[in-house]
Amino acid sequence: MLEHLGEKLILHVTIGSFSFSFDLLAIIMSWVVILLLVVLALLLRRGLRQRIEEKPSRVQAALDALMNVLKGQLTSNFASERLARTMFPFISTLFLFVLLCNWISVIPYFQSPTQDLNVTFSLALLVFVMSQVFAIRLKGGRKYLKGFIEPYPFMLPLNIVGEIAKPISHAFRLFGNIFGGAILITVISARLIPLVLPAGLNAFFGLFVGAIQAFVFAILAVAYINVAVES
Amino acid sequence: MLQDVQTGVSITGADIATAAKYLAAGFVMAIGSIGSAIGEGIVAAHALDGMARQPEMEGALMRTMVVGQAITESTGIYSLIVAIVLLFVM
Repeated sequence: MLEHLGEKLILHVTIGSFSFSFDLLAIIMSWVVILLLVVLALLLRRGLRQRIEEKPSRVQAALDALMNVLKGQLTSNFASERLARTMFPFISTLFLFVLLCNWISVIPYFQSPTQDLNVTFSLALLVFVMSQVFAIRLKGGRKYLKGFIEPYPFMLPLNIVGEIAKPISHAFRLFGNIFGGAILITVISARLIPLVLPAGLNAFFGLFVGAIQAFVFAILAVAYINVAVES
Repeated sequence: MLQDVQTGVSITGADIATAAKYLAAGFVMAIGSIGSAIGEGIVAAHALDGMARQPEMEGALMRTMVVGQAITESTGIYSLIVAIVLLFVM
């Protein structure tokens, strides 16, 4: 029953002297999540087409509330209002994507894409590149490079390692939480108690931990970008 | 190669390596989770202190507490990953 636990559906592609391996299930699942988000956005957008004098429709009221929550909880932590407005689409998309990725494992036969390290690592790298690019753009190249030898020049290796460690811990935190939960659910429902308990475990690890980890992922992205831009 | 006198079962180096692997995975989780458990407890205790003192700050404190706990948890998560690598990869 547990033999399939470590197995993955891997596609090997060789082009010339390069060989690539793709984890098919993670790719398919993340595309499912992307399609779900796009379809939801297209469906919900139809409720928004109205003049401003009319009273808002139900969809609009709900979306306004959601946007206010996202704005208040996530991007209000940015140092400046302008940066918050620039980063809001990116951060909220990241949050919604990770949230849906974590939540989709509740559906039977579906697997969270975030229980694959490659997915979380690419998201963390995205945040890393974003923070570096914004730091260079807002502070200028000289000041950006000078930030690495502060407070003392001999701190340079430490600063570089500290900067590289950020995406690694960012990726492993999400991956470990989701993967650990998935393993626990699989082991308990296959070996120990296959009745009622797995539903509760799914609710806890899939919905509760998934939501908290998505929130933490987004808020850490905010913190990393903020620190890179500020210091 | 060791020989068990009573049962006559021979224990090879591979058996010892497997046993060491499982033992190590158990110890990694047992010792590694101590730190993050204590840390999360400290975070929750101080958040509760703050909430008891200023109940109107509950929302902000709750949010900060959850984020702080999730960050504190990461050392425990690292030990989980090491245990998984020991069990399934090595």
